[in-house]
Amino acid sequence: MPEQLEIFVDSVKESFEDMIISADVKGPNQVEIVVKKEHIIEVAESLKHDMGFTYPSAAGGMDYLNENKMQMIYYVQNPRTGLFLFYRVDLARDNLKISTLTQVWDAMSFHEREANEMFGIEFHGHTDMRPLLLPPDWKGGYPLRKDFKGEGISE
Amino acid sequence: MWTFLSINSKPLLQITLIPGLAFILVFAIFAVWFERKFLARAMLRVGPYYCGKRSGLLQVFADFLKLFLKEIIIPDDVNKWFFSAMPVLASTIPALALILIPCDKNWVLWDIGSLSLPMFFAIAGLAPLIPIFAGWASNNKYSFIGAWRVAYMYISAEIPLVLCGAAIAIMAGSFDLVKIVEMQKNMWFALPQFIGFIIFFIGVIIEAERTPFDIPVAEVELVFGWRTEFSGIFFGFTMMAEYVMFQAWTLLFITLYLGGYNGPVLFGNVIASHIFWLIAKMLAVVVFIILLRCVFPRLKMNQMLNLGWKYLTPLALLNLVFVLAMKVMGVA
Amino acid sequence: MTEPKLEPDIQRISWGPQHPMSGQTRILLDTDGEKIHKIIADLGYTHRGIEKILENRTYFQGIVPIERMVMADTANIGISYITAIEKAAGIDVPERAQWIRSLVCEMARINTHLYAFGLQAESTGYFPAVFLWTTTDRTVLLDLLEELTGARWSYNFFLPGGVQKDFPEGFEDKIIKGVNYLRDRFQEYWDAMVENYTFEIRTKDVAYLSAEDAVRLGATGPVLRGSGVSIDMRKESPYAAYEDLDWKIITEKEGDCLARTKVRYKEIGQALNIMEQVASEIPEGPIKTRVSPFLRIPKNEVYSRVETGRGEIGIHLFTDGKDKPYRVKINSPTLRNMYVFERMAELTYMTMADMVVVINSIDPWYLDSDR
Repeated sequence: MPEQLEIFVDSVKESFEDMIISADVKGPNQVEIVVKKEHIIEVAESLKHDMGFTYPSAAGGMDYLNENKMQMIYYVQNPRTGLFLFYRVDLARDNLKISTLTQVWDAMSFHEREANEMFGIEFHGHTDMRPLLLPPDWKGGYPLRKDFKGEGISE
Repeated sequence: MWTFLSINSKPLLQITLIPGLAFILVFAIFAVWFERKFLARAMLRVGPYYCGKRSGLLQVFADFLKLFLKEIIIPDDVNKWFFSAMPVLASTIPALALILIPCDKNWVLWDIGSLSLPMFFAIAGLAPLIPIFAGWASNNKYSFIGAWRVAYMYISAEIPLVLCGAAIAIMAGSFDLVKIVEMQKNMWFALPQFIGFIIFFIGVIIEAERTPFDIPVAEVELVFGWRTEFSGIFFGFTMMAEYVMFQAWTLLFITLYLGGYNGPVLFGNVIASHIFWLIAKMLAVVVFIILLRCVFPRLKMNQMLNLGWKYLTPLALLNLVFVLAMKVMGVA
Repeated sequence: MTEPKLEPDIQRISWGPQHPMSGQTRILLDTDGEKIHKIIADLGYTHRGIEKILENRTYFQGIVPIERMVMADTANIGISYITAIEKAAGIDVPERAQWIRSLVCEMARINTHLYAFGLQAESTGYFPAVFLWTTTDRTVLLDLLEELTGARWSYNFFLPGGVQKDFPEGFEDKIIKGVNYLRDRFQEYWDAMVENYTFEIRTKDVAYLSAEDAVRLGATGPVLRGSGVSIDMRKESPYAAYEDLDWKIITEKEGDCLARTKVRYKEIGQALNIMEQVASEIPEGPIKTRVSPFLRIPKNEVYSRVETGRGEIGIHLFTDGKDKPYRVKINSPTLRNMYVFERMAELTYMTMADMVVVINSIDPWYLDSDR
């Protein structure tokens, strides 16, 4: 199995070349692709239609405060081979705009809404950007950011 | 016609005892208690247990007292007159139908002869209007959906019921409930009109809004249907209405198909034994219908309408034709 | 939630959170008469920020809050976090502990499936017979769990490195006894509910979800397997002792509410088999490796996937050398299935009465979707 993953990673690197930043094996049956922000849709389309990643799992934000960046992570699976993919996009902390992936995997809708309210990542082209979990009148900032200073939180 | 209003001991007994107030109240108490206690057995629990010792009988009274003492909340945007009138009317109108039921040849509260069966349908036909008005007056979406579900359901149920009633009237040669019962001295109409018997039985369950057909109050969908906004004793009245409807239709069902008050004479008193048999038959049917709740999930509205229009109505017509043929050939 | 615009001639009904059947969420139903036009889920009524809470707890302290996600299914939620910690820290778990974990997980799975099963019965208006039967029969499992873990709900039984306690004396026989009792009862459920004609016409062909749609919309758990897609995390990324146990993935082809109910029913049967296997074949040995309670995990990143009663839960654990996780991303199954439910109104014809059946067929647990 690990050899197959290596082959897959190599094929990904070959077919996307400079659209992606890196592609790695992350664990048994888990692969990671870090994509360039401007090519996010193209690569996703190709992953879905050519490589069989049709089964969206979830998506979520991630805040690397020390590196002054954020990351949007999409979790997608190939239902046939069981290959699990982390599809990640790096975002500068001062420019959190990104094209929505709901046009590729529409089940990412809820997760993008959550990332929007929790991290402040803006999804360009998302049709329904209402807050998902937080109250509509929430003004407390973005709770899951590392520099969030909420009341009642010890650190 | 209005003779029962004169002060006379028999009508007084009829109004207060049977088929009057006490009959209705005791029946409601029994039905509620039976439903709670015996359904609990089917659910592997014990039901009301502490109030009134292990039988839990006093729990019904306690709950009634609670409903009675609770504040009646009338929401701001409702139509206040309709909203307050409907619960009361809901339990009184079906109760009016009860006075037509013969408990013995000489024990009919309102003896209007050959008008009694049509009059029963007329009074009972008024009953569905009340949920509709109540649902409209409540100004609540759930109540409103419940109300028009009531409308659909009763229309699809009442036509087969009336057709079955007509078949009975043809066979008995009269619309008079007393005569219909007297005709069944030797054989209950359930046997020659078995199709009608089944249809009418299903119709009774629909009219009483019992379980496979409790669509208008389906609590998992509509909170409590047209009764959602009622509280306190208003809610108590709507509960009461359900049981009065149940009782009235069950009694008519017995009168038409199960020989009414007929039965062997007991205690050496004809009237008393007739009343006894009427109550015994009613309880048997009621217990059977209540226990259906352990067996059936609720139907959907479209399935219910399918049942009413596609099966019950044509079968009721078939039953009518069948009875007519029997009548013409002189079998019955 | 700011509500989306209402189309003309459509009535919007707010279903929940104060509704006998809704649970802790609100669902807006755009209805045209009885037909449901559009479903809008309004989640977040039970949002507690578990992801943020876990960032402020040490690894051992985090076990307690994360199990609050699904109370009926605490073992499966707990093991997802614990396997993530073990993977990140490279902790080995003794074999016996893995088998005990599988046992507790399967008991929790029966527990939560029983609840789902009962609610599915209640959603069709079949309240008395099945919902309270399942609740009563659950006691058998809860008694067993109490004897093993010391708690009936929320066991906090698993620790990084193993489990807290070994089997008490004679526990294997009690498992066999419980399994036999439950087998008899489940036959009754099948007869009384799944083969009940009225129940069948209420659930058959309701909310049909094709295999392609189920995959495209990211359905998981019994919803996915009810559409005939054979994906189960216990086989995809094995944890605990599932590799050594003999069991198979249950799928049903029909893709309707009845199929989902059947999947749950048959999964209970598989879980009972696993319980029996564990009782008879469990290997001897230690039940935990010692792990310091002040566990520090160097910078690492792990994704652990576990099959809960509702479907796949994914825990993405980021560590940075401190005694607390840097971030825990929880991908909860109910949130994914809620999206499927939202789209269901567009895919199939659905009425008010169907809606209750459909939402209970995905077995929503809003504490899970809201976190």
